[in-house]
Amino acid sequence: MNPLQETHLAIGPARFRIALAWKQPLELLKRLYADYPDPDDGFADFTVRLEPDKPWRRFIRPSVHISGDFWLPDAAPLPLEQGLLAAEMGMNLQMALGWRRHLLLHASTVEKDGRALIMTGLSGSGKSTLSAMLGERGWRFMGDEFALLCPDTGQIYAFPRLVSLKNSAIAAMQKELPDDRFGPLLKATPKGDIRHLKPAAEAIANMHEPARPALLLFPRFGYEPAIRKMGQSEIFVRLTQASTNYVALGEAGFRALTEFVDQVPARAIDYQSGAEAEEIINRLWDELAS
Amino acid sequence: MSQQYKLRTGETLIEHVLDSMTAVFQASSGITHLVTDPVPAILEVLSDQFVDSDQVAERLQRQFDLQADADVAAVVAARLEELWQLGLVERRTAP
Repeated sequence: MNPLQETHLAIGPARFRIALAWKQPLELLKRLYADYPDPDDGFADFTVRLEPDKPWRRFIRPSVHISGDFWLPDAAPLPLEQGLLAAEMGMNLQMALGWRRHLLLHASTVEKDGRALIMTGLSGSGKSTLSAMLGERGWRFMGDEFALLCPDTGQIYAFPRLVSLKNSAIAAMQKELPDDRFGPLLKATPKGDIRHLKPAAEAIANMHEPARPALLLFPRFGYEPAIRKMGQSEIFVRLTQASTNYVALGEAGFRALTEFVDQVPARAIDYQSGAEAEEIINRLWDELAS
Repeated sequence: MSQQYKLRTGETLIEHVLDSMTAVFQASSGITHLVTDPVPAILEVLSDQFVDSDQVAERLQRQFDLQADADVAAVVAARLEELWQLGLVERRTAP
């Protein structure tokens, strides 16, 4: 069998070695991550391996099996055309299961004037789309998947991977941005249609700059516009659910999260369009962001 | 014979008030418990010695200036049982 080919990626504080059995997704990764700093010392926090689940699957109806330092035993392989998605899922999986330096919140983050807006919610809430949209409108995109909360300083660190645009968000962003910012359209993936978007140059250049958390939002797409205050208990519980490593961090995670809940104003917002969300977000930012 | 309760020996609990509830981090298990009143006050009473539910109820009544009431004793007894089941306190039969 041919040896795996590999590339190294540094995304925020995390460094990955991605090893693949096929050239096409490797070239795609290299193109989309070309502007990211090159971790040239060869060290990696995690390894992601993308290989055929059976030897003949390299050639016949090729399918990509995701493994690495951490993996899920029952993860279904993806067709080779979705190799980029497999790489992104593999990196997310390593972070979700293995990262210990920060409290991980499943949330998107954008920054302005050194202050971070964090948006968390269930899949379909629009947090990823909103962060991509704001990232093109005067905010610095810090990530659409994980906000990294530092237990020592309370600052948020960026993890600005490619943005994973889904379904109707794809057309909306394609209208605004040049084609070279996008990966290929991946149709009918397990998460619907997906097209990856390269973050703005500023987001990549400043990815090591942390930001102080200033506003937390729980967006929900598809409902009449509304803003709801939330109690600290509800915020705390929802953030423990949104964190993949809260339990693993023990006392450090408890102290980081309770301090975050004490200090960061939070609201639940409902919206039906990007323009509506942007208006609500700007208003709350002016009123509440400390 | 009555049951007596005390915080587990060597246990560290870190409490943080979140408006209507209190988050209690239990160092020995790494579990975070969310509790409501009067549990934080009960945990305080149990911190240094074995006491039974009547003694806990009496202390709470004195501390919060409550009327002596059979309901308070029943609520305290139920909460103590729950705390024991959660592994937050140890229990013994009164000597």
